[in-house]
Amino acid sequence: MAATPLVEVGAVFAAAAIGGAVAIRVGQSVIPFYVLAGVLVGPDVLGQVGAPHVAPGDVVTVLAELGIVFLLFFLGLEFSIDRLLASRDRITAAGTIDLLINFPVGVVVGLALGWSVVEALFLGGVVYISSSAVITKSLIDLGWIANDESEPILGTLVFEDLVIAVYLTVMSAAVLGGGDSSAVAVDLAVAGGFLLALFAVARYGTGIVQHLVDGETQELQLLRAVALTVLVGGIALEIGVSEAVAAFFVGMGVGSTEHSDDVEHLLMPVRDLFAAVFFFWIGLETDLAAMAATAGLVAVLVVLTTPTKLVSGYLGGRRYGLDGRRSFRVGAGMVTRGEFSLVIATLAAGGATPVLRGTIPSLAVGYVLVMSVLGTTLMTYSDDIWERLSGA
Amino acid sequence: MAVYESELPGVGKKYEIDLDDGSQLVVVIHNTGKRELFIRPEPDADSEKLFELSDKLARQVGTIMEGAYFQPIKTDTIETVLSEESLIEWVKVPAQSPVAGRTLEDAGVRVKTGASVIAIQRDGETITNPTPDTTLRPDDTLVAVGSRAEHDELESFVAGE
Repeated sequence: MAATPLVEVGAVFAAAAIGGAVAIRVGQSVIPFYVLAGVLVGPDVLGQVGAPHVAPGDVVTVLAELGIVFLLFFLGLEFSIDRLLASRDRITAAGTIDLLINFPVGVVVGLALGWSVVEALFLGGVVYISSSAVITKSLIDLGWIANDESEPILGTLVFEDLVIAVYLTVMSAAVLGGGDSSAVAVDLAVAGGFLLALFAVARYGTGIVQHLVDGETQELQLLRAVALTVLVGGIALEIGVSEAVAAFFVGMGVGSTEHSDDVEHLLMPVRDLFAAVFFFWIGLETDLAAMAATAGLVAVLVVLTTPTKLVSGYLGGRRYGLDGRRSFRVGAGMVTRGEFSLVIATLAAGGATPVLRGTIPSLAVGYVLVMSVLGTTLMTYSDDIWERLSGA
Repeated sequence: MAVYESELPGVGKKYEIDLDDGSQLVVVIHNTGKRELFIRPEPDADSEKLFELSDKLARQVGTIMEGAYFQPIKTDTIETVLSEESLIEWVKVPAQSPVAGRTLEDAGVRVKTGASVIAIQRDGETITNPTPDTTLRPDDTLVAVGSRAEHDELESFVAGE
């Protein structure tokens, strides 16, 4: 579409807003509908029929990258080692069960398809990570938040957050370090040094971070926090480190300052705004033909990884001393996959092989679409399903 | 009464309060400030949502619940905590109290106990901001601000101990 960028960005937000409104109307989470909105107004649908459409371009891509950066910034901001340690026995037990049952499924499927280890590990990550955003919102909507099942669910999500931070760090090194071996070594050393420095500042340089985000007014504080996060993310990308991982560390650093709550309040709308564009952009970038080609594989993954989350969640719930019905709810609650599967797929898309560039991103979109709707639905009907299962 | 507190990572905190009839009141305080109230008829029942309040409204309702505006029962066990160091307590003036018939200044209530009388409840009426020459009468209820130690002093002083 030969429109000015402003019209284009306006169209992006309008399409996402309409998608979100539809999602609320049909009682589903907004994430799959943002993605669908992106597919619909993109070149593959509206473009095909010759209507004005939104073309993937630099402007939308930058806004989407801001979405990734802020999603991960919040992951870091709300991430607390102390919280993990506070009830480490149960969280670790439930989290480990979740990791050991779900992650290998994706890896095994990947290897069975004849993929390389790195490719299979990406698939493992995509199917492993549940959607904190969708699940937490569903917990509140269903009123489960006040019940005992909320603790194992949220506890396991915290554990997953920790795993995903480490995972993204490792996998981004695997993807972004392409090329000949001597150059790779230098790249890896630079990237590793940068991450180490970031981590050190986040962990031990609270005073510095505090000073950096300490604005005199709300406005200045907002600007400082955004500037810090986006700049560090951008520099990371520049030297071959995942912007997502860098943003996570910035979030962790800011989270340990006294401004943590203020920044969280100020940046939440910013995150929501750009995260919506990120999901939209995922849809926009999706090649429908490639997505159709992966439909069979998506079906296999849905069939395999829905029961694994139900089982791991059930076992985790049992570890928390819950009865069968509530433990089953924990399982149903963990089925939804969402934002982080897409972030992993975006990271994979930066890789060199056709599987990383094409198959995994296309597959992840279809998979997240199905799993987010399926997961939300399973939560709503979990008691009925449990009655059938236990009654039969 | 038992109150259980638990963390809800990414959401806020949850408080479960045992009620006398065996049910539980569940209060979820969101990080956004929103409060949600649930009732759980039995310990293993599902929580039924009662209502939700914004941060501001919850504080107002909380103050009413606490009895800052109206205290129906006047015993010496009622107290309203303002901060760690100061609370409001209600003290009844007994018939044979040494302070009965004397003014606040005469009796030296604040000088001797440290607690300040901020109101006097008498015959269903409340005298706010009593002056030093307000005379205390038997059966008055003194509403005083002070630390816990000062309240203890005040109580024994008014009782004539």
